[in-house]
Amino acid sequence: MDKPTSTSDQGKLRFGRYVRMFIGIVIGVFLVWRLYDVLVVEHKFGADTWVRFGLSGLILGGMYALIAIGYTLVYGIMFMINFAHGEVMMLGAFGGFFVFEALRFIPAPTLADPKLNFLDAHPIFSVFLAFAVGISISATAGYFLEKIAYRPLRKAPRLILLITAIGASIFLQNLAMLLFGPQRKNVVNPDLLDRGAGWTITVSGNPVLISYTGVFSLVLSAVLMIGLYILVQRTKLGRAMRSVAQDKNTASLMGVDVDDVISKTFIISGSLAGAAGVMWGIHMGLVNHYTGFLPGIKAFTAAVMGGIGNIPGAMLGGMVLGIIEATGPAALGIDFQLKDVIAFSILVLVLILRPSGILGEKLSEEKL
Amino acid sequence: MPACIQTKKVSKIFGGLTAVNSVDVVVPENAIASIIGPNGAGKTTLFNCISGYYVPEHGEILFYDMPIQGQPTYEVATMGIARTYQNIRLFGEMTAIENIMVGQYPRFKAGWVDAILSTPRERSEEKQAVEEGRRLLKFVGLEGLGDSLARNLPYGAQRRLEIARALANKPRLLLLDEPTAGMNPQETEKMTHFIRSLRDELGITILLIEHDMRVVMGISDQITVLDYGTKIAEGKPKDIQSNQRVIEAYLGPDVTSLTQKYQLRKKQRYAKS
Amino acid sequence: MRSSAVDNGLRTGVTFGIVIVTMFLIGFTVTGAGLIGKLFGASDSATPSLMFYSLFMILIGMWAGASASPRPLTEADTFKRALISGLVAGLVSGAIAAVIGFIFGDLSANKIDPRTYLPSVSPDSIKLFLFNQTPLMGSLTLLALMTVSAAVSAALSFFFRSNHWLKNKSGETSNAARGFFQSAGLNRVLQSQYASYVFWAITAVVLIILPRVWGSYWNYVFGTVGIYIILGLGLNIITGWAGQLVIGYVAFFAIGAYTFALLTAPEPHHLTVNFWVALALGVLVAGISGLLIGLPILNLRGDYLAIVTLGFAEIIRILLKSDLMTDYTAGPRGIRDIGGPTILGKPFVSDVDFMYVIIVAVLAVTFIAHRLRNSRTGKAWFAINLDETVARATGINAFGSKLLALSLSAAVAGLAGALFASRNQFTGPDDHALMVSINVICLVIVGGIGNIPGVFLGAFALKGLPEILRETESYRLLIFGVLLVIMMRLRPEGFLPARRPELEKHAAQTPSGKEA
Repeated sequence: MDKPTSTSDQGKLRFGRYVRMFIGIVIGVFLVWRLYDVLVVEHKFGADTWVRFGLSGLILGGMYALIAIGYTLVYGIMFMINFAHGEVMMLGAFGGFFVFEALRFIPAPTLADPKLNFLDAHPIFSVFLAFAVGISISATAGYFLEKIAYRPLRKAPRLILLITAIGASIFLQNLAMLLFGPQRKNVVNPDLLDRGAGWTITVSGNPVLISYTGVFSLVLSAVLMIGLYILVQRTKLGRAMRSVAQDKNTASLMGVDVDDVISKTFIISGSLAGAAGVMWGIHMGLVNHYTGFLPGIKAFTAAVMGGIGNIPGAMLGGMVLGIIEATGPAALGIDFQLKDVIAFSILVLVLILRPSGILGEKLSEEKL
Repeated sequence: MPACIQTKKVSKIFGGLTAVNSVDVVVPENAIASIIGPNGAGKTTLFNCISGYYVPEHGEILFYDMPIQGQPTYEVATMGIARTYQNIRLFGEMTAIENIMVGQYPRFKAGWVDAILSTPRERSEEKQAVEEGRRLLKFVGLEGLGDSLARNLPYGAQRRLEIARALANKPRLLLLDEPTAGMNPQETEKMTHFIRSLRDELGITILLIEHDMRVVMGISDQITVLDYGTKIAEGKPKDIQSNQRVIEAYLGPDVTSLTQKYQLRKKQRYAKS
Repeated sequence: MRSSAVDNGLRTGVTFGIVIVTMFLIGFTVTGAGLIGKLFGASDSATPSLMFYSLFMILIGMWAGASASPRPLTEADTFKRALISGLVAGLVSGAIAAVIGFIFGDLSANKIDPRTYLPSVSPDSIKLFLFNQTPLMGSLTLLALMTVSAAVSAALSFFFRSNHWLKNKSGETSNAARGFFQSAGLNRVLQSQYASYVFWAITAVVLIILPRVWGSYWNYVFGTVGIYIILGLGLNIITGWAGQLVIGYVAFFAIGAYTFALLTAPEPHHLTVNFWVALALGVLVAGISGLLIGLPILNLRGDYLAIVTLGFAEIIRILLKSDLMTDYTAGPRGIRDIGGPTILGKPFVSDVDFMYVIIVAVLAVTFIAHRLRNSRTGKAWFAINLDETVARATGINAFGSKLLALSLSAAVAGLAGALFASRNQFTGPDDHALMVSINVICLVIVGGIGNIPGVFLGAFALKGLPEILRETESYRLLIFGVLLVIMMRLRPEGFLPARRPELEKHAAQTPSGKEA
């Protein structure tokens, strides 16, 4: 269906526009007031605290960005919100968790330490294996999700696809709960990646810990994102993906196997989510069936913020959202309980005020 | 005769592409006017501007001397401009008569409170709506098919139902986007008669986009030719048929010279033999 | 190209093998056997008997066989083909199950408890999975049982289908059941006016008597079903008719419940507003909040709208739960001692009385929904649902119509929320988790989207049945998820699809004086 952006009913809804303008102004005034209050009047936090918040925001943002890319890739190609994407990430997190658990039970005694287990003896290999397994599980989940649930509905209305995705999300979440139990599980890292360890720098006289897990996550996210960018921009598959995103019919006439490209898109987005899931386990240290839900919605927020369908946008959106979420409660002087409210408010506000996102100009008319 | 619809230097630009470029069209009341032009000439875009779906970047659209550009689609429809679509767009999951009743929507007033309380207004309007719906079904020759789902109707019936839905609002101007597309010669003939009867019997001004030149030349009082978004000719069917620019637009600029060359060569050959 | 019999069997076999293993890992084999036992009237015991478990596995095997057997039948399909398909399917699924069974049996024999990582796999369930035998014998039994039942079922379904096929060829009606329901006689009886009078009379008697006789447990269960029917009917307006998915529907439920609770509870505001006034205010506030939320977002495209409402619902829930709002909404511990209904100052105390309130509310909302459905407004909503662009071009103010639909939906949810709070005499943030919305969406879709009887069916099936089949409680959401995916694929219109009214026929049957 062609529903161009510049139709009169969207452009000319003066009332709606006034409402939106009003909301925008109210929010703006509120933000300025809170920021002024906290930063200038109260001056509650020192620079070290801000650095700490900013760092954790960056790390969180990297993970959001990886998940957000999955939303954006799928949306760009199928115009559907893959609501089960967060659950795909959760499965990856479980994959990493189980690899660590399994390796922890394999003894690898050395002369120096007869009690040493495999995980600590070969930490690099273990982490590598955890990522390999987590990514494979998520990629497989993404592949079958598309094949079983979405492919038969290729021509169905969008609402039906969305309901299917919600159904798949409920199914996967509850399957994980029934399989692994509802309790949160502690992810025991190899000693090398101990969550308390890291470099310490001094900011305005106070120590700030830069944890190894955080740096590791951030670097890995960056590497994966660069890899994806090269894949999409430079390879044959990437070209096929972009052509399918532009126009499925024409792409298939030009000899692109559309079904195959869609399958591979789901595999790629599943892989990135799986990597994010394993990282989540390593950095946050807790995994359960609910792990994927909130990051999933927040990553969707990030994708919308960056302009859905736009890959650099999703990366930027993820980073921005991570930083806002980490620094927001402190900057606005509100309770840390409400950090999820900030993320959801951003989701609502972005959709109300600028549904095309920050980098949304590139959107073709069909996508909105 | 007053102008029913008039566009004054209307332009619509998509990105860098000017789909409609400063077009002036005047359709007098009670006329049948056609817009023709090669594919991509901006005909449907112009329609979308008139029906309020697009807001033109420049220019004015006057409906009985009232500016309507930039009005929401539903208000334009309520004023009395109805349209059909190139690829039929009925409410497929609704019955035929319900499609017509949706078309009547702006003419009635009963709201949701009336519906819940079943007020006298609601009941009388409902009765009137069904009756008029049946009359319209009869008018377009779909009597007895009113309760079948629109998507189950045969192609020709869908075309006529779409027109019936457009007529349900008692429009003063009817925009028909390729009403005979996909029809065989007999059906086309019937449709042509039908369109003429709309004007003659109901007094509706008609503006249509059409590719079938026989239809266009047969029923139009006035023809406007668009090419690359620009108006290149306007006038009575006869004038258009012999217009050089129109022929060029349709067949390419070299055609005339080609024909001349061809005839020249023919002469030379005769001369040789 | 038709796949070969072996391929076909292989694919079905792998699918069913994974399903069986999954069932085992989440402990559903025990529950399933228990359900079968219940069907045969066995008393609830901690571990269901071997016989019922065998029957459960045989049923699954037969299902596998039936789906492996070729369909639809063509000339090329022979009995041998069907048998091979079934055999392979049974063999493969049995083998997958047997391998997993053997591994767990062996672990169990070596005193390793898998429950650290797979809490649902208890030693008892492993024992049952292997028919109380040694790992080797048990897994071989599993293999044999699956193979035989799948093969038999494939053969049977081949005979069944080929009979039908032959009948079809000779022009006989193929679907006996459908033929029966569509037979003219039955239809005439069902559609005659007397039938509807009798139906309504029986319904009225049942509704008056039942709450008095069946005790407070069933009043509680059906009270919940009633509240979900109201929610379903409300969501149906915006989602079923106007076609806008609202995932965060629970937000309006929460607003209704909290408005009512704050007005009638002694804590935290010491207000004791009359039940009916508070109920009306709950509905009104929810309706207005629907209007306000709708204003900025209703011109968004469908799936964005769904997500924005989800965001709203979560914001409201987190705010209710947070310390920030504790002074106003009692925070995470919720509001207690919410007021109950009174008539002329006389309080309703018993659950029976409250059941009547719910029944009246359900009837009232049903009546309103019924009136709206085929009205001018209802047609406008449906037109927007089917093609918004064209609906606008026919003169419908799509934005206004959607706003109206959302407000009405929200108001109905507010009613449900107020009733829910009043019935439980308590409401807290956890009553308003996203799962409420998901339940409502499921019941509307499963019942038949856009259809009023469908909402009733859906509410009974999804809220009533799990109460009756208590064992399945923990699997409810899992089954919902599967149901949603399967329904969207096979029957997106739901079990009771909506039908359009026959206006022309009706008008022709009751000719008016004016007509020529």
